Amino acid sequence: MATAVPTDFTNQVVFTEETATFSPEVIEEMRSHLTKYPEERKRSALIPLLFVIQRERGYIDNPGVNFLADFLDLEVTDVWETATFYSMFNLRPVGRHHLQICKTLSCKIMGEPEITEHVCNRLGIHPGETTADGKFTVSLVECLGSCGTAPMMQNGFDYYEDLTVEKVDKILDSLK
Amino acid sequence: MSTELIKVTINEQEFEVEKGAKLIEVCREKGFGIPSFCYYGDLALQASCRMCLVRIEKMPKLQTSCTITCTDGMIVTTQSEEIEKAQRAMSEFLLANHPLDCPVCDRGGECELQEMVMDWGDLEERFVERKNAQPEKFLSPIVANDPQRCILCKRCTRVCDEWMGEEAIEAGNRGVNTVIGTYGGWLGCSQCGNCIEVCPTGTLLDGVYRHETRPWEMDQTRTTDVYSSDGMQLSIGSRGGEVHRIVARDRYVNGLNGEFLDVKARFAHGFINSKDRIKTPLIRYKKGGKLIPSTWDEAIHFVGSKLKESGNNVGVVASSRLTNESIFTLKRFATEAVNSNNYAVSDAYDLAPFFDNLSAPLCTHKEIRHAKTILLIGGEPEEEQTFTAKQIRQAVRNGGAKFIVVHDTPIRLAAQASQFIHVNKGSLDAFALAFADQSDATITKKLGAAQTEIDDLLKTIGETEGDFIIMFGGDLSAEAQAVLANVAGSFASDTRRALLHPLPLYNNSVGANDMMAGKKPLEEVLRTSKALLIAGSLPEDKTDLLANKDFVVVQELFETATTEYADVVLPAASFAEVDGTFTNNAGFVQRVRKAIEPIHQSKPDWVIASMIARELGADFGYNFSSTMVFKAIADSVPAYEGLRYPLLKDESKPVQAKYSPVAKRDLSNEFAALRRKVEALPETSEKITETPRVGHKLHRVTTMTGKTDQFHLLAAGNPKPENLLVSPLVQFNLDGTPRLVEMAEAASVNVKDRIDDKETVASKVVLK
Repeated sequence: MATAVPTDFTNQVVFTEETATFSPEVIEEMRSHLTKYPEERKRSALIPLLFVIQRERGYIDNPGVNFLADFLDLEVTDVWETATFYSMFNLRPVGRHHLQICKTLSCKIMGEPEITEHVCNRLGIHPGETTADGKFTVSLVECLGSCGTAPMMQNGFDYYEDLTVEKVDKILDSLK
Repeated sequence: MSTELIKVTINEQEFEVEKGAKLIEVCREKGFGIPSFCYYGDLALQASCRMCLVRIEKMPKLQTSCTITCTDGMIVTTQSEEIEKAQRAMSEFLLANHPLDCPVCDRGGECELQEMVMDWGDLEERFVERKNAQPEKFLSPIVANDPQRCILCKRCTRVCDEWMGEEAIEAGNRGVNTVIGTYGGWLGCSQCGNCIEVCPTGTLLDGVYRHETRPWEMDQTRTTDVYSSDGMQLSIGSRGGEVHRIVARDRYVNGLNGEFLDVKARFAHGFINSKDRIKTPLIRYKKGGKLIPSTWDEAIHFVGSKLKESGNNVGVVASSRLTNESIFTLKRFATEAVNSNNYAVSDAYDLAPFFDNLSAPLCTHKEIRHAKTILLIGGEPEEEQTFTAKQIRQAVRNGGAKFIVVHDTPIRLAAQASQFIHVNKGSLDAFALAFADQSDATITKKLGAAQTEIDDLLKTIGETEGDFIIMFGGDLSAEAQAVLANVAGSFASDTRRALLHPLPLYNNSVGANDMMAGKKPLEEVLRTSKALLIAGSLPEDKTDLLANKDFVVVQELFETATTEYADVVLPAASFAEVDGTFTNNAGFVQRVRKAIEPIHQSKPDWVIASMIARELGADFGYNFSSTMVFKAIADSVPAYEGLRYPLLKDESKPVQAKYSPVAKRDLSNEFAALRRKVEALPETSEKITETPRVGHKLHRVTTMTGKTDQFHLLAAGNPKPENLLVSPLVQFNLDGTPRLVEMAEAASVNVKDRIDDKETVASKVVLK
């Protein structure tokens, strides 16, 4: 049976003082997010900005977190708290295809464990790990809001629904 | 909160309560116990533990009483089968992942979860699936963390945010994986340890006390903090003559600070039982010789005969860490035993200008919490008067107070300020002139702040209805302090109270100022005396003044730079070994109680001074009991008139010394002196823009804090070890350099070494 996603990996983050730098266009985009919120509620822009950081740097890395903390007058721990809560933010580098399998109730009842087992066996990794060639990462995530078509998984922003073992095989083949 | 009374029915009894009161508080006050974990008096509401459920009529479901405010005609039931069933179910959920390892948990015996489960819970567990097991690890040299014991009440995160303003610890991840922690797993905060104090389980643990003893085996002694001038009340846990830990847990002590303490008050108690304590009296028979152990009789006799030779050229210096009793006795020693007026306090900050010009009442910490406007001039309360800083933060955050900082450095507390007047380096004196309306173009230029900023400040004060508090510390010159203390009173009006709050450096600076009326500057006493009696050590830069003295007696706990010049060193008892009083910066005279017997042959400072006095033929009328010393203080110090120990017994009702305010006086001498000082400031001055590092004063290694190993690592910048599962004290030398061999060994320790294999744990459980 698959184990839960390890949660203590952020302990291994080697803390740096380094702050990420971005091109003027990206900074401009970030500022445009800030304008959507009242000036004294800058922290509201944290989630849209985390998306920008992830897009620009591949994952939410330490310099990126330091940048956001500076940019929004927050503590790094505030950024960490939000980034770890949402499964769409990766605090570690992920493979080209990030398969996020929903593990919440509806999917679990409809056969998520077999799907997870099959995906992991085929790729030879545990949930939370990345294949050696850097192609696939498998994560177990909380409800993705597609209970009517359970079990389901997400790759990037694409949903794959009503999964069966055969369907998963086809999907994985097409992703190669 | 209005004082309008409304009727609430609880368990079929009718009560009149204040409108807007919290239901959980009302129920508890009226004697109906309601269990709760996440609810914590002064903190923001959380309502995550779901233990405080009550039935309120006309509401569809059970309600959390911590989030409900009382309304008129509310009918509440706190105990019924339905509620008990819900509470039992909740405690079962809380225990789903909580290991029942109370016998090895440091919190066992004073754990809120343990007590609650015994009262309300079902001890038989139905959850036999795999538990979310994680090993115990370190968050800092001082905070140990056992994640699996956490019930996610988030008291620690709220305390860190609201009390300390640091947001160092937060809840990461989600759902069943939620953990309390930090980014990077290492706490780089001021290490106050308040998260440990408020934790209802054994999740956050005291890394200094860890695994030393059990709570029920310790004697708890209520006493007063020996570091900060806030006079925080705390409880010393001791066993068999050894101090093991210091807490402010409300089951043991209920003082002005609640459960708040700072890193020094809570953790830096290693000096009390340190092996470096001076054990016996030491005599240096010949200048340049060695200090040789001797007996008390011989030492006192030796001191007596030598002091007699010096006649009335004897100076007396008292440390402001000592109790009022000791300082008072030392002053009497000077005036009665050696007939000299050469007595001083070895405190860099002289409070006399403040108290001699006190034109407004001293403010208490409770008044800070509920103040409307607070003006901080210089000082750094978040590093030196931590409880004052906490009260300011809460006044701003929870009370909406206006907070104005005038400083040459952007201190961390300035982030909370509604107005920050950033003045030039060292030009706080110029601000005193500007504030007293003595400003002109030169002053404003030297100040480095525009006149409009001062006008804004005066406008804010003018609009204040309620309490207006001025606080300042020793980084202002004596004249500036006199000016500020004297003009403060003129801000009072019918709707506004003006209050003053000094920021002294030591626990008994205020008491030392009261006891040593007529004291001389330290340097003058050191220069003019031929022989000296010094209680406590001198500041290190003053010690060379002792070089050519005929005879120096030092009463100390440790060998320091001062004892190197001593002819006789007498072992003094620490604050944990004496009875007495400290006076805090709110003027509260608070008890210091003996937790353990004086260790080795040490004696309280006042006993030593009166023993020498008797040898010289002066009798103070007290030899054994500090009660008698305090009575003598009450009889001769006007502010302490009528005070007795029994009046000071209850730490929850502290007694303020009676300082009589003085009228506004002519300050032209001070103005002239200040003007000269300001004019002497350099023409061009750069502003300090760097915010000081967290703990740059709190984590300093001193004679006292240096005896607790953890402080060396904090002072060395709190380095993060290779492996958080192994204590940082194993992986680092005290100077913060890595111990390579131990670190490599520690690196090989992994999670599996620290917890049982999950599969075997699951298979051991037998289904009932």
